[in-house]
Amino acid sequence: MRFVLRLLLSIALALATGFGLSYSALTDGRLFGATQLGAWTTWPDIGSPLPNPYTRAHIAREAALHLGRSEGLQFIAHADSAGEPLDLACSYRLDGRSPVSSFWTLAAVDGDWVNLAAPGSDAALRSSEIARAPDGALRIHVGTALRPGNWLELTGTGPFSLVMTLYDTTALTGFSSADTTMPAITREACR
Amino acid sequence: MIRTLLWLLGGLLLGGLIHLVTILMLPLLAEDTTWTRITQLEARNRVVILPPALPGEPNPFHLDTELSYGLCQVDLADGPAYLSGILPDAFWSVAIYNQAGIVTYSTTNRDGIGQNVELGIFNADQTRLLAQQQIDIAEGLLVVESRDDDLFILVRLAPPHEIMRPRFEQELSKLTCGPRPAA
Repeated sequence: MRFVLRLLLSIALALATGFGLSYSALTDGRLFGATQLGAWTTWPDIGSPLPNPYTRAHIAREAALHLGRSEGLQFIAHADSAGEPLDLACSYRLDGRSPVSSFWTLAAVDGDWVNLAAPGSDAALRSSEIARAPDGALRIHVGTALRPGNWLELTGTGPFSLVMTLYDTTALTGFSSADTTMPAITREACR
Repeated sequence: MIRTLLWLLGGLLLGGLIHLVTILMLPLLAEDTTWTRITQLEARNRVVILPPALPGEPNPFHLDTELSYGLCQVDLADGPAYLSGILPDAFWSVAIYNQAGIVTYSTTNRDGIGQNVELGIFNADQTRLLAQQQIDIAEGLLVVESRDDDLFILVRLAPPHEIMRPRFEQELSKLTCGPRPAA
């Protein structure tokens, strides 16, 4: 009887560890193929001709059209800089700088990658369209509530993610420390 | 007690093995892949403009709403594939994907290509013939060697403003793609 209990316990532990670790590796991915810069996560190997096995599995799971390494890099944030999950009930502010790129776009999506822009507004913000501070820093407001300045107007309720896509970028190439600086995401008022 | 701990240790080791097998087998066992989705678009040897990813609508390819996309599927078993044409003066890039959805080659027009897209894709045998000058190519053709025959090519084009999108997509659709027709 004790043998059977130990066997069942061992099998349960094996299944939980094996599949739990795999799920974590392919969603969060931080300990495996993904890199985190502040609140933002990217898979730097995703546009490489020879990605590591974790990135390869991530590519198969997503079945999307990823950017090649020389085309750019896509960052995604599921939480703000304090680690709180992004929620459409709250407004957020992005401050700081992004790595050098020809241009970037910023959009909000839900878990199924459906764009959450409000009807009649821009589906995404583009770097060439935003007003910047005199020192070149960016400040962008994101959310469903009316905000001044650069505002990515969203609609809906529930959790969401921010996607920042840098085209033709030096991000994570190691040229300078600016290559690893992404805007901070700060939560403001919530409904 | 020690025996129970050994069983747990065995479970952890087995879990690690399950994890490795899952990660390695997932690309081989996946049924709904980029390739199967692309094949449904009937883009064999022609450039198909992907429908824009509008707010509130599904976006299975995770497309950027700010860009226009032209896609073409080729099989190098039919001969070397060529992508050629002229694109508007804006940011564009080309990526070549294999059946696993992995980008095997990519470039942008910041690499000095300008507005002319002249890309030739050759497999190993064709590259050897090319080196032996048994395949004629145009001067200035960007030669890309591929290890796989089944590929798809994605051209990303960034219209500076939304109002320019229809014209940009029209230019994108004029790109020719596929094996060169026999003379």
